[in-house]
Amino acid sequence: MFELLIKSIQDKVPSTEEELHLCKTHFTPKRLRRKQFLLQEGDVCNRMAFIEKGALYSYTTDAKGGQRVMQFAFEGFWISDLYSFFTREESKLNIEALEDCELLLLDHEQHDYLLKNVRQYETYIRILYQNAYVALQQRIEGTLGLTAEEKYSHLVEQYATIVNRVPQHLIASYLGITPETLSRIRKQMASR
Amino acid sequence: MQTKRTIAILGASGNMGSAIAKALAKGNDRLLLISKEEEKLEALKTVITNEYPLADIEGMTCAMHGSWEADIIILATPYEAQTDVAEKIREVASQKIVISIANPLNATYDALVTNPETSAAEELQALLPHSKVVKAFNTTYAANFAQTVIDGKQADAFIAGNNESALETTAELVKTTGFNPIIAGKLSVSRTLEAMQLLLIQLTMKYKYNWLAGWKILHQ
Ligand SMILES: NC(=O)c1ccc[n+]([C@@H]2O[C@H](COP(=O)([O-])OP(=O)(O)OC[C@H]3O[C@@H](n4cnc5c(N)ncnc54)[C@H](OP(=O)(O)O)[C@@H]3O)[C@@H](O)[C@H]2O)c1
Repeated sequence: MFELLIKSIQDKVPSTEEELHLCKTHFTPKRLRRKQFLLQEGDVCNRMAFIEKGALYSYTTDAKGGQRVMQFAFEGFWISDLYSFFTREESKLNIEALEDCELLLLDHEQHDYLLKNVRQYETYIRILYQNAYVALQQRIEGTLGLTAEEKYSHLVEQYATIVNRVPQHLIASYLGITPETLSRIRKQMASR
Repeated sequence: MQTKRTIAILGASGNMGSAIAKALAKGNDRLLLISKEEEKLEALKTVITNEYPLADIEGMTCAMHGSWEADIIILATPYEAQTDVAEKIREVASQKIVISIANPLNATYDALVTNPETSAAEELQALLPHSKVVKAFNTTYAANFAQTVIDGKQADAFIAGNNESALETTAELVKTTGFNPIIAGKLSVSRTLEAMQLLLIQLTMKYKYNWLAGWKILHQ
């Protein structure tokens, strides 16, 4: 139930059994089925989710109900709305399960407790925030500067399995292109 | 709250489990009804869906899997089963609200079987050290859920626990079921709450209240 989380912590900050146990007891194990929500817009995001199994994605909705995909997350990764988590403002994001998931949730209260009491956790979280910041900047640069084709190859490089696990229209939305353009790019790339 | 919660009711085939399930079906939560009696669960689901066609309910036989999916767990099982059930759900109930409704009565309903220095709820907390145990629904009879107003007054339902936000969430649930929630205090107040139900049962038998009776605090 905690295998990937422990690996994720150990990879970043070597920790003792005791420290890991303390961390484990502050998480909420939660199963989510496909199409169920971890967060719906309008709620304050009170928790971060580590994915032991499955996949989720976050998105905003436009006035016509269309989805704009922000992020995909798979096993071994975290997903949340950190903006709402830190500011305590209502979230504009939806976080939905793409597949049946096994998650480990950490709410605000437990997060604060671990920050104060487990030094390893603080280091771990700092590294995660660093990575999240870098990823965010890459995402902005991608949106501003890269061609659709470049963005798509970056995405596939990052997550090889994404093509098989995520519907095409969601990948297109993430890249900010139409499904038709995506399909054209994929054909071009395949013929090379 | 927009994001749908999942509430697991363990022992949903019983008097209290089915009464709580019916009452919570008025709300917006997803209900997982858990029992070994699949036929009884099907019948309960039909009753609930007939009354609340939009209710999001599902039956399940495994306490562990149901509790894993849940955000809130209600133990509508007998006190005698508490250790067993806690053992099954311990790992997946970590940091979740676990509601104890049990009254640890003896077979003749004239005493509690727990030591006066503790309560069923506190024992459950010791069995589930990483969960947020809350006492609730123990001072209301199963029959009261269908009629929360008795003699013109809305029955009170007392809540006890050590975690503030868990108490507030439970108070909301109690409100959804139609009772007037009163947060009574820390989890140790469960000793009083469990003894209150012992007294109510004795009075119900003595004065023949016909199992429709409840507590109401009169105040200005
Ligand atoms: N009845 C009331 O008016 C009332 C009022 C306040 C509080 N309570 C408390 O509510 C609880 C339930 O009472 P009830 O009257 O609803 O009893 P009940 O009708 O006998 O139901 C109890 C349920 O628990 C399950 N169960 C029984 N033994 C079990 C075991 N060893 N392990 C796991 N599950 C087991 C059974 O479901 P499955 O076997 O199908 O899973 C059964 O349907 C008790 O703790 C009682 O003190 C009752």
